[in-house]
Amino acid sequence: MPLTSTIFKKSKMKTYTFILATALFLVSCGNSSTDSKSGKNKSATVDLTAAGATFPLPFYNVAIKNYTNTTRQSITYGGVGSGGGIRSLKDKVVDFGATDAFLNQEKESEMPAKIVHIPTCIGAVVIAYNIPGIEGLRLSNANLQDIFMGNITSWNDDRIKATNPGISLPDLAVTVVQRSDGSGTTYIFSDFMSKISTTWEKQVGRGKSLKWPVGIGAKGNPGVAGTIKMTEGAVGYIGSEFAFAQKIPFAEVENSAGNYVLPTLESISAAAQGEIPGDTKVMLTCSSDPEAYPISGFTWIILYKEQNYNNRSQKQAEETVKFLSWLIEKDAQALAQQVHYAPLPEPTVAQARAILGSVVFDGQALLN
Amino acid sequence: MINSERIVKIVLFLSSLLIILITAGMVLSLMNGSIPVFKEIGLRFIISSQWNPTEGSEEYGAMAFIAGTLMTSIIAIILCFPLAFSTSLFIGEYYKGTRIAKIVGTLVDMLAGIPSIVYGLWGFYVLRPLIVDLGLNAQGFGVFTAGVVLAIMIIPYATSISTEIIKMVSSDLKEAAYSLGATRREVILGVLIPNARSGIFTSFVLAFGRALGETMAVTMLIGNANIIPDSIFGAGNTMASVIANQFGEAEGLKLSALITIGLLLFVITGIINGIGKLIIKKFNS
Amino acid sequence: MPVVKHISGEGALKRRVVKNRLFAGSVIFFSMLTISPILLIVYKLVAKGYRQINIDFFTKKAPDTYEAMVAVGAGELIPGGILNGIVGTLYMVFIASLIAIPVGLLIGIFLYDQKSKRYAGVVRDIVDILQGVPSIVLGLIAYFWVVKNITNGFSALAGSTALAIMMMPLIIRSTEETLKMIPESIREAGFALGVPYHKIILRVLIPSGFSGLLTGILLAISRIIGETAPLMLTALGSMEVNFQIDKPTSAIPLLIWEFYNDPNMVDLIWSSSLLLMMMVLLLNLLSRQIIARRT
Repeated sequence: MPLTSTIFKKSKMKTYTFILATALFLVSCGNSSTDSKSGKNKSATVDLTAAGATFPLPFYNVAIKNYTNTTRQSITYGGVGSGGGIRSLKDKVVDFGATDAFLNQEKESEMPAKIVHIPTCIGAVVIAYNIPGIEGLRLSNANLQDIFMGNITSWNDDRIKATNPGISLPDLAVTVVQRSDGSGTTYIFSDFMSKISTTWEKQVGRGKSLKWPVGIGAKGNPGVAGTIKMTEGAVGYIGSEFAFAQKIPFAEVENSAGNYVLPTLESISAAAQGEIPGDTKVMLTCSSDPEAYPISGFTWIILYKEQNYNNRSQKQAEETVKFLSWLIEKDAQALAQQVHYAPLPEPTVAQARAILGSVVFDGQALLN
Repeated sequence: MINSERIVKIVLFLSSLLIILITAGMVLSLMNGSIPVFKEIGLRFIISSQWNPTEGSEEYGAMAFIAGTLMTSIIAIILCFPLAFSTSLFIGEYYKGTRIAKIVGTLVDMLAGIPSIVYGLWGFYVLRPLIVDLGLNAQGFGVFTAGVVLAIMIIPYATSISTEIIKMVSSDLKEAAYSLGATRREVILGVLIPNARSGIFTSFVLAFGRALGETMAVTMLIGNANIIPDSIFGAGNTMASVIANQFGEAEGLKLSALITIGLLLFVITGIINGIGKLIIKKFNS
Repeated sequence: MPVVKHISGEGALKRRVVKNRLFAGSVIFFSMLTISPILLIVYKLVAKGYRQINIDFFTKKAPDTYEAMVAVGAGELIPGGILNGIVGTLYMVFIASLIAIPVGLLIGIFLYDQKSKRYAGVVRDIVDILQGVPSIVLGLIAYFWVVKNITNGFSALAGSTALAIMMMPLIIRSTEETLKMIPESIREAGFALGVPYHKIILRVLIPSGFSGLLTGILLAISRIIGETAPLMLTALGSMEVNFQIDKPTSAIPLLIWEFYNDPNMVDLIWSSSLLLMMMVLLLNLLSRQIIARRT
């Protein structure tokens, strides 16, 4: 076309492109980083798609990359939120969904066919705070109730002082930061709050999004973390991996045995030491174990028990179950630890294996 | 000759049908999703400012978000107007064709390319502390903060088209006015603007529409309080923002409430555009 | 009419000159105010992002959170790049443009052609309303129409559909307004010479209004290139570079959102945003060149 050749003949265009390209090149050369493993993935015969919770996203992100690199099986996971994951599975546009809150009987019956829940790891919600010069804060259950319901408005309130005898707290206003978007993190937090405080349970209750009595709303874990970091006197709840990665101080919390614990891989794992029902649908908050961190929870993957639906191929079903059975075993669980999620304790892994074993294609079990 | 004209008119007409089909399809899909809300809550939904997602006592209402949307968008267009209008004049009239006009034009167009999440982040890290320092809001969130960022975001939309239109005003008209002894300002206000009025207004309508629908940047700055804002510096929420925030986790009645809010946004955009058209009719008569 | 008032008299002349100066001054002032945010934002993006821009950035896929965590912990640059996002964005923008540009131009021409007719007024109103729909609602619609019913899964096509619908109002209205500014005499001359209508449109009107049309298209592309919300529900994202229209795919804004929400990869948002901006800049420069060639 005459137009394009005119453009490229003219020197001005060439000059601009050249300058831009050179600039990019120079900047690139100036900054090089160590090579990352980037194995180009040849597409396997099927592609797996999944969507759901953002709470375990770092773990799924690492696990999937690892699995893809070793098995060449392509998997895409989108963190659209637990609700989105459930909806996508309902609409049968994904191979499996992921959710932080398990579906109760009623919700399960709304799905077009029977589904199973597979727990994949345990995460924790921490109480993060920003009080200049203060570390090692401890908050009792009563403190938490009063703070999040707006009854304590200053950090040097006697009630907080009573829980922290060795720390001199400043006269600083308390700013509660809550999640404005619906989330599994909120669900676990509100479940915990409902268990430790009947006032909370009556007035606010549990849910993925709540009618908050006080506080400013921030969007997502990064929003809350960012707001806490920038606001002196702020306190809020965030996923543990966020607090660890961004080095935000978090409080010791009282568990059911009356011990004050920090969220560590050990204390989070301990939350799953109690009685877990066969279908693993249980909240791990306020576990009876004396070492347990009380604001912990499973996160699940949900899929249809009968995998022959919507013209799915056997191969598709096989690869799905193969991936999930890898996810609950040692290698994948070790990856979870690397990114600050607690691995499933052995009894739960056995339960998960059993549940996966019940997933069938045309009535035939997919795992041998 | 007449045949070709016929064919052209038919093709054009068919294309217009496409946009009607798309829009009608969208409205239908949204209406379908909002049925649960109208069944359980009814028309009260539109004026209620209740928003309680707790299971067992669910109660939803759109008024808080309607208020937030209108407030932020109006602030945005008011702040944007002098900036965008001046810039279009700068590029399209005063410095028309010069290098500096090109540079300014490119810079303004770049504003359109910044992803809204970046605007949100910039607002969060740069604008928010400013608002706190000015003492307008304790944490720096609020309708005003969101409005300021929105204003910046919609500038390229208002400017771009206005500039092109202003450039295209025939120089004959302007020359004639100058030859009568008019100053530049008089030529602009008396000749250029009346001539380019339609295009300029359209660009602002487009910009306003953009403001109404903006999601990400607003959601990071408005404070996300599901109430009617108590002042322009107070926290609130907008329709687009609440949909974006809650959509990932919503189901059942809540999902339906969000879809209904989406439908309402359609309606509100229509009403505002209608008002705008009436205003322009007044201008012309 | 303001021009005719108070033209006579020395004092009046002085007033008009002063008003003129003030007016020009405020135009310049506000214009400078307008470009200051862009300079501030660009500065921030460059300052925080330039370090992550290297060859890898353009050629490697996104890293995972562990690699990022290790690198950040060691004070090194986060490895990997955003190739999957770059390819995904280009792919979806291309397909969205294929859909939106012809349709948008046609409807814009239709509105110009029929300007005072009632039906055209209705269509115009509908187009303006479409402009105000939040991108997330469009994503929802594309999810219902494409993900559920056409591709039976998240896909690039669904993403492109949502983006195309977003582009249309901008292209349509700017096309119409541009064509309106072309003097009637040119159109009349074409008719008088017996030129068939489609030739008048293609050979006379479009070339005359080329600058305005291209601006509208460019604006539309700039609009969608940074959109996140609709893509979350339609294209979903991907770790791979792929060109399959019925499979999920990544995009730069999606990656930015993923990086933002990941505790370890937050630093990558600045360089990715910088790239998006540079792409818009490039498009802009390209179109200016094209327009300059024609005049």
